Amino acid sequence: MIDQKNARLAALAFTLIFVSTVAVLMARQLNLGPERPAPGFRTFGPADAPVHVYEYTDLACPACRQATLRIDEMRKVFGAGLRVSFKHYPLLNIHPWSLQAAAYSDCAGEQGKFKEYTDLLFASQEKWAGAKDQPKEFETFARQLKLDWEKLRVCSEAPETLKRLRLDIAEADMKGVNATPTFFVNGKRAVGAGQLIDQAMKFDNVMRKAAKP
Amino acid sequence: MNPGTKDIIGLAARLAVGGIFIYAGVTKALAPAEEFAYAIESYRVLNSQLSLYAAYVTPWVELYAGLLLAAGVFTRWSALFSGVMLVFFELLLGQAWLRKLPITSCGCFGTSGSNSIAGEFLQNLAFLALAAAAFKYGRAWSADRAVEKP
Repeated sequence: MIDQKNARLAALAFTLIFVSTVAVLMARQLNLGPERPAPGFRTFGPADAPVHVYEYTDLACPACRQATLRIDEMRKVFGAGLRVSFKHYPLLNIHPWSLQAAAYSDCAGEQGKFKEYTDLLFASQEKWAGAKDQPKEFETFARQLKLDWEKLRVCSEAPETLKRLRLDIAEADMKGVNATPTFFVNGKRAVGAGQLIDQAMKFDNVMRKAAKP
Repeated sequence: MNPGTKDIIGLAARLAVGGIFIYAGVTKALAPAEEFAYAIESYRVLNSQLSLYAAYVTPWVELYAGLLLAAGVFTRWSALFSGVMLVFFELLLGQAWLRKLPITSCGCFGTSGSNSIAGEFLQNLAFLALAAAAFKYGRAWSADRAVEKP
């Protein structure tokens, strides 16, 4: 009798564990967890914008360069209705310098020029992305933007900077991001600029709904 | 205390401790393990590799322990296990408090806000008392009781 009771309880325990595990893993894939905020210098647009796009980007990826142009156009079209946050997802196996580029761009951001620095990196991707030695563009662009290069260099190797990048990568891995650019538009996934534009067609509706009292 | 009151206290304690474990487990399981690992590292007890292993495992253990306790499956064992975990967390918090470690987030509930270490320590003491109540009186309206019925 006791064995039968324990067997029933064990079966119930197993069921609870199995169902909760599946539910949490599904919630991860469906991006139901809270989004880690991106640093302020990587975020553009008002905090109360009805549409919030998170972009996982790799500064050495050509599709990300195109996507950034689309994002810039969208920011012009949708104005205060759109908030965009960038997160780094350097594809380390194919782009040897993208982690460094991400670190330098964050440090440029800390000096107030994230967007300007990443625009220069995107525009000259073919010069530095496949370089065999440390690309000189990182320094050239910093000096061109009148950033403090020495400070930038120290910052790019600082544990806090690398920790922030590792957390971005870990978060992307957990959400099943495996290509760049990947967007989360109000939590809904879009891979590539094409899918983003498909979702952008619904932005007007979202904004209209948000504007209703 | 009459049996009805004890049962209600036991059930409330079970749901409170179980609920808090479920919440703590889910919030951390839905965030990158590295984030929790950094919080564990800040206690300066484990190195970074062991902190990462702990960060992978702990949220799931919390979730399962919380679920079993809330549902009243092997209630006394679940309450005891939760209590042991709380004692372990108290030791971690206590040593950090005594060493005045600069911990800004205890890591208890992922990235969501955290009280001071002293505040978390005292809060855990309250949960420990509730776990004791769940251990002693928590079998009412439990799965344990349900399977006893013919």
